[in-house]
Amino acid sequence: MTGIATPTPVQEPSAATARPVSVSLDGLSKRFPMRRGWMDTLRHPRSVTYVPVVQHVSAEVYEGEFFGLLGPNGAGKTTLFKMLATLIFPDAGTATIAGYDIIQDAPRVRRVLAPVIADERSLYWRLSARENLELYGVLQGLDSRASKARADELLTVVGLDDTGLKIVASFSSGMKQRLLIARALIGGPRVLLLDEPTRSLDPISARQFRAFLREEIAGRQRCTVLLATHNTEEALELCDRVAVLDHGRLLATGTAERLSRENGDELYRLWTRGAHQPAIDALVERGVVRDVDLYGTDDDGWSILEMEVPGGPDRTAQVLAFLTEQHVPIARFERVTLSLADLIERIVERRGGAEADDA
Amino acid sequence: MRETCALILASWRTALSYRLSMVFSLVGVLVSVVPVYYLARALQTTMAQKIELQGGEYFAFLLVGMIATAFIMTAVNAIPGVVSSGIATGTLEALLSTRASLTSLVAGLIGYGFVWTSLRSVVMLATGLALGVHLVWSAWLSSLLIMTLIVLAYLPFGLFAASLQLAFRTAGPLPSIVLIASSFLGGVYYPTHIMPSWLPRLSDAIPLTYGLRALRETLLEGIPFRMVIPDVATLFGFVLVLTALSLFALTEALHYARRSGTLAQY
Repeated sequence: MTGIATPTPVQEPSAATARPVSVSLDGLSKRFPMRRGWMDTLRHPRSVTYVPVVQHVSAEVYEGEFFGLLGPNGAGKTTLFKMLATLIFPDAGTATIAGYDIIQDAPRVRRVLAPVIADERSLYWRLSARENLELYGVLQGLDSRASKARADELLTVVGLDDTGLKIVASFSSGMKQRLLIARALIGGPRVLLLDEPTRSLDPISARQFRAFLREEIAGRQRCTVLLATHNTEEALELCDRVAVLDHGRLLATGTAERLSRENGDELYRLWTRGAHQPAIDALVERGVVRDVDLYGTDDDGWSILEMEVPGGPDRTAQVLAFLTEQHVPIARFERVTLSLADLIERIVERRGGAEADDA
Repeated sequence: MRETCALILASWRTALSYRLSMVFSLVGVLVSVVPVYYLARALQTTMAQKIELQGGEYFAFLLVGMIATAFIMTAVNAIPGVVSSGIATGTLEALLSTRASLTSLVAGLIGYGFVWTSLRSVVMLATGLALGVHLVWSAWLSSLLIMTLIVLAYLPFGLFAASLQLAFRTAGPLPSIVLIASSFLGGVYYPTHIMPSWLPRLSDAIPLTYGLRALRETLLEGIPFRMVIPDVATLFGFVLVLTALSLFALTEALHYARRSGTLAQY
């Protein structure tokens, strides 16, 4: 089995490559000491066990790009974001935001990057939305008048202009999320970090919020956006490219189509019946197909077999020719289009497993 | 400065939105002073001689001690308090992600606490005056200076506590130890020289001892400022040493928190 090293930045054959790099990560790593019980601490007071949270992550995000960071809980997305927001120092590697190093130029990084803190409690609930924005405007270096003007402008941008004078405590979760975005935008950042922005929203509000992100933030504000999520549909809907992160390792980077092409082209379903098993076994034995499973049976009684065909479309003719030769009845034979969720699961299984083997 | 004022204004507006709580708090101050007045009257004869160099009037003596205690409580508790709640709510993370300097943020976050303590102190003082306290009004400027130095001498303990909070998620017993030791050994309720045995030596290690003595001598006894300069200088020495140490501790704690990931970790 071939081990897959941390991928180098993938140059997509898209318009994105023509843009300058906005966020660059180069071998970023972070590990945290593991919590220990009292007895263990007393027995070995000096020993510390570390858990790697982010491991040698390298990637490039282009200006104006909507970049998704996908992965299960504990994949390292939030830690990666906190390092970019200068809240945590990396143990190794570097990252630059708009050309500024996150360690050497941390104050400058804070001028161009804004993390959207998704926790609603980080707002001043007893103040109005406008007062919240005015406060953060001043903290971002605007004078009082400019801050007021920018607050009004952003309230319109996020669709809260009618409710700007109401206290935040009276807002719905969706409104608070919009206000959190407005707060992040008040300093005019070039890069936005969104960490699971729709996690507390109902499906309808989440959809509306995604439309807002796509049209307003990416479309009109022209921000580079890094979106951490474990909601694959959200990533598919919003992102130009996605990166799959698992156990702190970047397993793949690319457009959803590209990842699908690279990782989902080998899965096929065959509708058959009768004595097909010897033919299938022969194909498995010859290494033409593998991992054959009975997926189900359709209404007409056809058995649906799911299998991997290594080599993808180039080898399917061989499969069909052999099955036809063996007089196996075939109703359908088609490639399975994986959902992004399935795709990510496959990437995590395949590459995560491969790296574990290497380790 | 603008950032600091904006944060204080935000806290003020938040507090104003809880009007009833604000009123109750001020009424509470007023009510707490009255029993002290009667207690002081009862003990006046016993205490008069012992505090003759500090005004000789026990109620005024206690009132000044109470006001100073209110300020040092704010100085010691405010910073770890805002750090703790800021971490819990995510506010700290949001604030640290802005362009504002750490000094502006800290000053802004604790500023309201001092505004509120000042307001409560005014109510205490007004109640005291209404109950017959005599102050040397010409000493208001020097008293203000001494009170400022007292606050500055205790802010470092708040910074130490905040450093512990940032690094280890708890300030431990530090604020309580500082406040209890200062209250009982710093001369809040009685002059330090009447304490038995070796205790007055312990009180020499407490900044409040010097601050309160200077404050009472100028504000209650009318002693010229130049006469209390030794106490003020000692207090200033505490300010310099403790501030330098606490800023070092805070910088190290922030560095440690950024390295270990405990900064903004709920």
